[in-house]
Amino acid sequence: MKTYPTSTEVDFVVIGSGAAGGIMAKQLSTAGFSVVVLEQGGWGKYGREHEYNKDEWLQRNLSDEDRLMSDPSRQRNTFRRNEKEKAVRGNHSYGCVVGGGTVTYGGSSWRHLPWEFKEASHDSTVPAGTGLADWPIQYDELERYYTQAEWEMGISGLRVDSPFVAPMSKPYPVPPVPLKSSGALFQTAAAKLGLNVVPGPLAIITKPYMGRAACVNCGICSGYGCQVRARSSSAVTMLPLAEKTGRCEIRVRSYVREISVDNAGRVTGVVYFNEQKQEVRQRAKTVVLSANGSESARLLLLSKSARFPDGLANSSGLVGKYLMLGNGVVASALFEHPLNEYKGVISGAGIVDYVGSDPKRGFYGGGRLTARGYLTPLDLGLDGLSPGGPRWGAGYKQALREEANHRMTINCFVTQLPLETNRVDLDPDVKDDWGLPAMRITSTSHPDDFKNMQFFRTKSIEILEAAGAKKVWAPPIADTRGGAHNRGTCRMGNDPKTSVVDKYHKAHDVPNLFIVDGSSFVTGGRNHPTMTIQALAFRAADHIIQNAKKGAIRTNV
Amino acid sequence: MPSRARSRRSFLIHSVAGLNATWVAANYPGILAAQAYVRKTTEQGQLPRLTVFTGQQAAEIEAMTAQIIPADESPGAKEAHCVYFIDRALATFLQNSRPAYVQGLEDLQSKVRELYPGAAKFSALSSEQQIKTLTAIEKTPFFNMVRTHTVIGFFSRPEHGGNYDKIGWKLIGYDGSLNHKPPFGYYDAQLERSEAGAKEQRP
Repeated sequence: MKTYPTSTEVDFVVIGSGAAGGIMAKQLSTAGFSVVVLEQGGWGKYGREHEYNKDEWLQRNLSDEDRLMSDPSRQRNTFRRNEKEKAVRGNHSYGCVVGGGTVTYGGSSWRHLPWEFKEASHDSTVPAGTGLADWPIQYDELERYYTQAEWEMGISGLRVDSPFVAPMSKPYPVPPVPLKSSGALFQTAAAKLGLNVVPGPLAIITKPYMGRAACVNCGICSGYGCQVRARSSSAVTMLPLAEKTGRCEIRVRSYVREISVDNAGRVTGVVYFNEQKQEVRQRAKTVVLSANGSESARLLLLSKSARFPDGLANSSGLVGKYLMLGNGVVASALFEHPLNEYKGVISGAGIVDYVGSDPKRGFYGGGRLTARGYLTPLDLGLDGLSPGGPRWGAGYKQALREEANHRMTINCFVTQLPLETNRVDLDPDVKDDWGLPAMRITSTSHPDDFKNMQFFRTKSIEILEAAGAKKVWAPPIADTRGGAHNRGTCRMGNDPKTSVVDKYHKAHDVPNLFIVDGSSFVTGGRNHPTMTIQALAFRAADHIIQNAKKGAIRTNV
Repeated sequence: MPSRARSRRSFLIHSVAGLNATWVAANYPGILAAQAYVRKTTEQGQLPRLTVFTGQQAAEIEAMTAQIIPADESPGAKEAHCVYFIDRALATFLQNSRPAYVQGLEDLQSKVRELYPGAAKFSALSSEQQIKTLTAIEKTPFFNMVRTHTVIGFFSRPEHGGNYDKIGWKLIGYDGSLNHKPPFGYYDAQLERSEAGAKEQRP
């Protein structure tokens, strides 16, 4: 791999190597620019993915070396419901390895629908007083980048002609994953209830593609690295191509603490802690911030200077605000015959009829119901049985026998309104393992979000019953306190007073800083963000490359 | 994001919340050491030796595990060597829990004497008496610790010393294979059959 001395001013530093960072690194290095990627996590099993295993006991006790997610006891964070509360230690966690969250995610790759870019002006159900706004870009501008992402990453799926699914100019490069028993039961219910089932588009290849092998349905999928490289993570798609250019260096265990600026307000590089927690300064002509929808905002807030006393790129005061952590609803059921849901991918078919908001429901909101989830043997044994049963003894053993593999779970991915009061900022008291102010999350979902969750809970139960379940249960609804779907904290817009980045992800306040990840989201879609993050990244890269080649962005080339 | 049910994002939180604090302290190198030991003894065709428990303590814990997941028409936690899993855990990654086991066993002894004056040991009680005794302590941290450790020993990969002969996996029909072909379950198989049937009927 190419290495750069830190004294070299590289064209681009990319902070983060996940869904967006991986694409930015590959696109920029392929276009001829020098790139240093700074990843706070480790390599994982990068380049030797066959070493990933399915040992769930080891997985629950990973060494720092082998962790694939951030560790809330090191990447500390705090949570509070509202500004009046004192924040307490939180469990917010996200992908933290070369490839980021794409190394372990379920792979759901739904596009946003065209109207999801303009809900504020086109949806009559939007309640007043929220931050719901139209995006400065529309679906038509993004469509070709969705296609590019699907074909360059390797997304499986079935193009369908449906008002509930985004239109596609080109089919998926590989066919959808096999239908699971949960998908078959979805079809049974849908036939009775007049609903539509669509195979979930997934970043998991079902045929050999671009030098990678097809999924072998090994099961116990999400949460674990993929040892056959069928999951189309940044680590097996984009980053190897970036390295191959000979112009991209990936530095792991590199925890950025500041994006530095000069007196003119231009970014000059970054300061990060290396593995030994020594400070290293890396100079760069341009910085691309792709640290995720919560950490990108935190890093801007940490990057205070005389010129930017409230944090970098924050003249609007909106950095960190409009945080959408992502909400979900779960319902489970037992069926007479075995489903064996642990086999194959985690996320199968989806019921898509309620994706839009409907004034008749009396609140704003929508979402997708997906047949999703599996129980590992340990999950099942420790606390995975249906509620109310015995926890030990003959009855417990009998329940293990009867319930194992007979269970199906629906996970609903639903809307969350952007609210200015939901935010990421710096905790005044708690420090992370590097001595920096910990991330503080303040979040309570809008009342309509709760009504929507209740709606989806009811629908899930209805669908499971229609599918012929013997027993159905659903935990009470609750909104989220953290998680990898965090979005919205550096929202995109045309007006520097009401947004942080422009429609090409350039910070309004800083000419050579681009913020490309879920933080740019104006609205959250239906909480399936990755595909849109990837399309936005391809689009941002195109724009940056064109401008760099015209000389509008300074480079060494 | 879905808040529960083994979605990836709940996974880590769940893996902490689902276990008591003792298990959060479990550490990777210790687990690997335990695994290496199990591999060695297995290769040599031996039963693992007890390292931490005395024979008498092991008999008591084993009797507890045998009530937590009893043998019926299929083998239970005793046959799955859960006591050896726990002993090896206490020798390696779970050393901090040794005092809790020692104290817990003493408390168990007291409970046995209280309920069945004259009885010497939990393991010597009848099955019915053992169940009554465990029911009396089922809310205690000690019982929950043993229950958690038994379940982990029963269901984690056999390399870790429990789940002998994949007894745990066989009970729940879990196939440790890493290569599955559809149909995966009853309902997708049924759908496949009916679609194939429909195809045949078409001219």
